[in-house]
Amino acid sequence: MLDACLLLAAFLAAVAGMGWLALAMEPHWEQACGQAPYQPALAGWLRRLGAAALAASLLLCLAVDHASMAVLVWFMVLAAATLVIAFTLSWRARWLAALLPGAAARA
Amino acid sequence: MFQNFRLSMAWLHTWFGLVLGFVLMVVFFFGALSVFDREIDRWAIPASRFEAQPMPSFDTVLRPVFETMQPSADRIEQMRDKVNGPLPERFTVPTRWGAYTTHRDPVLGMFVGYEVPNAKEPETYIFASRTIDPRSGASLPDDHLKIGSGFFYPLHYSLTLYWKDLGYWIVGLAALIMLAALVSGVVMHRKLFRELFTFRPNKSRQRSLLDLHNLTGVVALPFHFFFAFTGLVIFAGIYFPITHTQLDPLHELHEQLEAQETGLPHERAGVPAPIASVDAMVAEAQRRWAAKDMAGEVGFLAVQHVGDANGYVSIYRAGTDRIALTGEGIHFKASTGEVLREDPPSTAVGSVNEFLTGLHLQHFRHWLLRWLYLMGGLVGCVCIATGFLFFVEKRKRQHARQNSQGARIVDALAVTTVTGMMLAALGILIANRLLPDSMPLGWPERGAMERYLFWGTWALAMLHAGWRSGPVAQERQNPAWREQCVAVAALAIAAVLLNWATTGDHLWRTLSLGYWPVAGVDLFMLAAAAIALGAARKLKQRGAAAPATRHEPPEPAHA
Repeated sequence: MLDACLLLAAFLAAVAGMGWLALAMEPHWEQACGQAPYQPALAGWLRRLGAAALAASLLLCLAVDHASMAVLVWFMVLAAATLVIAFTLSWRARWLAALLPGAAARA
Repeated sequence: MFQNFRLSMAWLHTWFGLVLGFVLMVVFFFGALSVFDREIDRWAIPASRFEAQPMPSFDTVLRPVFETMQPSADRIEQMRDKVNGPLPERFTVPTRWGAYTTHRDPVLGMFVGYEVPNAKEPETYIFASRTIDPRSGASLPDDHLKIGSGFFYPLHYSLTLYWKDLGYWIVGLAALIMLAALVSGVVMHRKLFRELFTFRPNKSRQRSLLDLHNLTGVVALPFHFFFAFTGLVIFAGIYFPITHTQLDPLHELHEQLEAQETGLPHERAGVPAPIASVDAMVAEAQRRWAAKDMAGEVGFLAVQHVGDANGYVSIYRAGTDRIALTGEGIHFKASTGEVLREDPPSTAVGSVNEFLTGLHLQHFRHWLLRWLYLMGGLVGCVCIATGFLFFVEKRKRQHARQNSQGARIVDALAVTTVTGMMLAALGILIANRLLPDSMPLGWPERGAMERYLFWGTWALAMLHAGWRSGPVAQERQNPAWREQCVAVAALAIAAVLLNWATTGDHLWRTLSLGYWPVAGVDLFMLAAAAIALGAARKLKQRGAAAPATRHEPPEPAHA
């Protein structure tokens, strides 16, 4: 049960990480946040945050399985997370703004 | 020939992708289904719907079965031209007995290899196989096809074209081309990261198709690459058959030296000897694994040189908890039970090979990864299918103007390999539920009938796709897409209902019992039905929205 929760957390971390990486890109920022101006400085932070979340996802995978298996799981989780973010951007782009708590998203 | 490197890559990607894409589609789709091969087996053989079992007692269950196993009639038929003179009534010199099981197998697959007297080539063996219920030792009927592991899985790696191993070679070539297609695709794409999350369903059809093609190709790039590569590694012995061509004498010498080194006899002694209690050997092997802090179940058990003084028993630990299939082999002298050898830890090369093979074959226990593999396979199918559709979309106009049939033919083949293949897969499952338990006299046996109906369904789908493909030549949609989507939904629902009607295992029951193998297959088919219906509705709307397609300014050519 603990393993399942950790793997779920790894998946959610990957989704959030990919979401932040997407928001760091100008076209996707516009899709998700509309009028709020795209700020390169913020984008830099989002990129770092995204990378950190993906790393956290890897650590969570490593906590569950032997390293050789964990890496496989991580790669596949990244693929799934990328698809989730890409399809969210296609149909419900605004939902991604949920990854930006605070003022940045609400402008 | 081409102005630049990128254009030559585009040519390679387009044409090789088109030709071998049809093969890759089959490989991907049935590979994805093979991830759940054991579960599909449960669905197809209701007598095997119970919990997974450990390796049963050798002395009381396995041995009596091994002793009665004989090769099937068609195996004997295939052997006829490999011997001088007639074949014996019964094969009497078993060279190997073996049984393999995993944490997902309720029933146990067993095989016996017999020496073939008067064979033209040395080391010719004929195999007998059987599946038993390990709880009782009772045999399952041989003609009941394990549709997952016995049909979808072989389709995945050999297309079931066994003549001169042709299927293996075609699949191997397709895998090699796939590696080239991945590399050339990356070269053509250029915006790998910039467009990683890009799918614009509301742009022109060409644009959306290309988006989806790129998206599905890129997100699963590591998966695609690794599976094509490890697939080739697994069959390297077939693709580079040097040990049995140029280097035959060396191979023989190597085997003898290896036998000397390991102490495991290479030849029979020619002196009969009884077999001691193998159960005691299994207990000893498990004790030794536990002592190494690797307690586990038996995955593979084999007896070599059965009934001979040189006979030995090999016991391997199941790789449930890691990537490698089996390992920690311990070998015992069959007549006494003394330990001959404990396999040392794998060498670096050995472990890499085990890792690559295990990664592809996944007999380990990890349900999340199993589902993710299924996703990877299906994403690959979407990638190939959108590749076909992009090819058609891009040329349809021009071909219509030039009165060429090219786009029409490719589109009909795409229908055949996308919806047609799903229809065939559902067709075999429905045949499995409708055919009588044993076929009447004069008919092919049940398993063969199921396979014929699979190919028959597929051929019909192909005819239908071709017959309805006329509109494509006039730059319109082939109605076969929509019609086959409806058919997929109908057959999927029919299969689930037939499972209920013929076995009583409706979803409510399998779900409340938590019997996931069967519930999962049913749910998967229902999900496929829902998606197919959704697709059919969309296609209908689009067909009604008039053939006057929106033409946005064309993108720079990518493919």
